[in-house]
Order: sequence, then structure tokens, then C-alpha cells
Amino acid sequence: MIDTFKHIQKSLDDTPHLLRIGRLFSETVLIEVGGDEYYLTFDKGRITSVVEGPSRKTPWRFALRTDAAALEKFWQARPAPGFHDIFGLVKIGRGQIDGDILSLVKNLRFFKEVLGLARAKEELPA
Amino acid sequence: MSIEPITGRYLTVTIDGAHRRIYFEEAGQGRPVLCLHTAGADTRQWRHLMNDAEITASNRLIAFDMPWHGKSLPPEGFETEEYLLTTEAYIETVLAVIDGLGLDRPVLAGCSMGGRIALQLAALHGHKFSGFIAIEASDFQPAWYDIDWFHRPDAHGGEMGAALVSANISPYAPKAERWNTVWMFMQSGPGVFRGDLSFYTKDDSLIPRLPSIDTAATPVHLIVGAYDLTCTPEDAKRTADAIPGATLAVMDELGHFPMSEHPDGFRPFFVEALDKMPTMAAKAA
Repeated sequence: MIDTFKHIQKSLDDTPHLLRIGRLFSETVLIEVGGDEYYLTFDKGRITSVVEGPSRKTPWRFALRTDAAALEKFWQARPAPGFHDIFGLVKIGRGQIDGDILSLVKNLRFFKEVLGLARAKEELPA
Repeated sequence: MSIEPITGRYLTVTIDGAHRRIYFEEAGQGRPVLCLHTAGADTRQWRHLMNDAEITASNRLIAFDMPWHGKSLPPEGFETEEYLLTTEAYIETVLAVIDGLGLDRPVLAGCSMGGRIALQLAALHGHKFSGFIAIEASDFQPAWYDIDWFHRPDAHGGEMGAALVSANISPYAPKAERWNTVWMFMQSGPGVFRGDLSFYTKDDSLIPRLPSIDTAATPVHLIVGAYDLTCTPEDAKRTADAIPGATLAVMDELGHFPMSEHPDGFRPFFVEALDKMPTMAAKAA
């Protein structure tokens, strides 16, 4: 899982439109996968560190809590209904979002597209 | 170079004692089909069907921007008004447009909040229509988000709303149409999406009215996309089950904005729905 988040970190550096959209986003986000904690620290739209927990000393702005199987489906090129969006995960009971949700919503497109950088690149019909 | 067959004009009607200048578009000839857009959007959602020559050969598709939306202005004095759509105002607006355009018992096709009001009209004013196509429509759902997110001075409600509603778009939607669909939400006026959602997420008056809908007089067909998180297939089925004689189609690869997000995927479902509606000849008989 840590490798996937580091892949996202590198992909983000190569995605200019996301760096532009996220230029005001400098926060730490907790992603909890099956109880394992991953802290993604953003600075002006770039991920500057990916740190595996557990940690009780790392402050975070908002958290997405889910499980590995759900994320695996989320990262498919065409996820099944409910697995296609972080709010879908919440709706079907496979995800939970807490903390400063307004911070997430203000940066929702950015965060969803950053998380989607690990999505499989199946060629979709035009 | 190409010029589309869609034409747009303006209609001024009186709603709640005040003038409203309403933008409407139409294409085609024959059976009138009045199309209602979703919350936070406008007539452009229907443009693919209005440009479909086979459909418009025998159907006159008409769509209008609700006041506050698209090219329809808000009412005079809006600058001090909190926009909160109500079932009553929505019904009055649809009926005023029908009267204003002189439509004789049109088919009513509405999506999301447009589908909700189509079912309200089926229950309360069914005789003014010949049938109902209720897309992504259900009896009621409370919000699974805080609608106040979308109207606050420290953030762009349109961008937040667009990012939220993208959760309701299918991964099968062509990329260009996905972004054309969310663009309308990005353009929505301040507080308009919130005001629409207030109607959609707080008024549950449709629930007891559903069993009274007379589908023998006016057929009701519901269509729902599997990727719709707001009106799920379960929500649509519960709603269809409460309307005696209503029919339901589930679209496995579509979401909450099917006519806009994936026009080719939606087309066969809309054609099937039109086939279930009375023809001009049947109406005249």
C-alpha cells in the first residue's frame, strides 16, 4: 500500500493541472486502510511525505478510512457502482470520512483526482 | 461548420404574482415532450436528444431553464432573497410554461429534481399531461451531504458542487461529456444548487401521493442509473413499486445525469420510454 501512495506522490509531480488546482492545499491527510495508517503531507499541492503509522503525534486535517479490497476496486479502470468515488465508498458502507470535512470539500476535485492517480489506465472509448 | 436544429427563445410568464423571463429551447415536431433539467444545471443537459433527428422526427422536444438557472433570470429583487425552491413554486412554474407555450398535454420528462416534480405533477395534475418519464427520480432522500457547503463566501460553491456531483457520474461516461456535465454546475449562480437541493432533500410530500397516480390515464416510466448515489436503483424501485402500474428500467452503466453524461448509452432507454407514452393519435382518440 505504501508503494501505491508513493506512486501517487510521484504521479502528482508529473500532473501540472493538479499542481495548479491544489496550489493552496497544504495539509496532512490520514488514509487508513484496514486499520493501517498512512499520512500524506501536502505542501502547496505537492505530496512532500508519505509516512506509515501508527502515529499518535501526527496531526491531520481530514481522514479517509477504508479497506484494501475496497481501494483495489476503487483503483480499477471502471469500478463497480459505489466503488467509483470516495463518497460512494461511504454510501455503501466501505468508507468513512471524518475530521475537517469542509477542508476536503473545498479541495474535493483535487483530492479525488490525486487519489485517482493510482487508477488503472484502461483505454476507455471516446 | 454545422448549425444545430435547436432554437432558443424567451417566454415571460407570471409566477406567484411576478414576471419571470424564461429561456426555452425546442427541436422537432409532433408529440410535445417537455424536458426538465436537474438541480444546479440547465437546458444544455438535453441537447444531445434535441439534436437527435430520429427522435425529433416525431417528437417536439422542449426544454426550459428554471428561473435562477441558465439563461432565465432570477426574479426582480433576488439580491435580497434567499433562493429556496419549493414544490409549489416548481409546479406553478412548469404549469405556467405549458400554458405560455400552449402545449396540449405534453409528455413530461424530468431528471433528478425534475423527475421528482414530474411525479408530483402526475399525482396532482395528471390530466394536463399524456405521460411521465421520471429519470433518476424517487419519492424522497434526505441529503447525504451538507447543502450549506454550496453557498458560502469563503469558497466557490460551483466548483464544490461540481466535485460533489461527479460522484454521481458513471465511469463509463465519455470524458468530454463528463466534463461538459459538471461544467454546468461550475457555472451555477451562487446559492442556486443549494436552493434546489433544499427542495429535493427536505420535502417528502410525494410519498403519500404516489399510490394516487393513475397510470391507466397517464403512464409513468422510471429510469435509473446504477452509478447514481443520490437516487439509487433501490430508491427508484421503491418509488415505482408505490405507483400502481408504473414501470422501471435500470441502466447498468449510467449515473445521475444520463442524457448529459453518456448520450449514446441513454438513448435506447429514452426511446423505450417514449414508446411507452401515448402517441398523438392515441391522445386525440
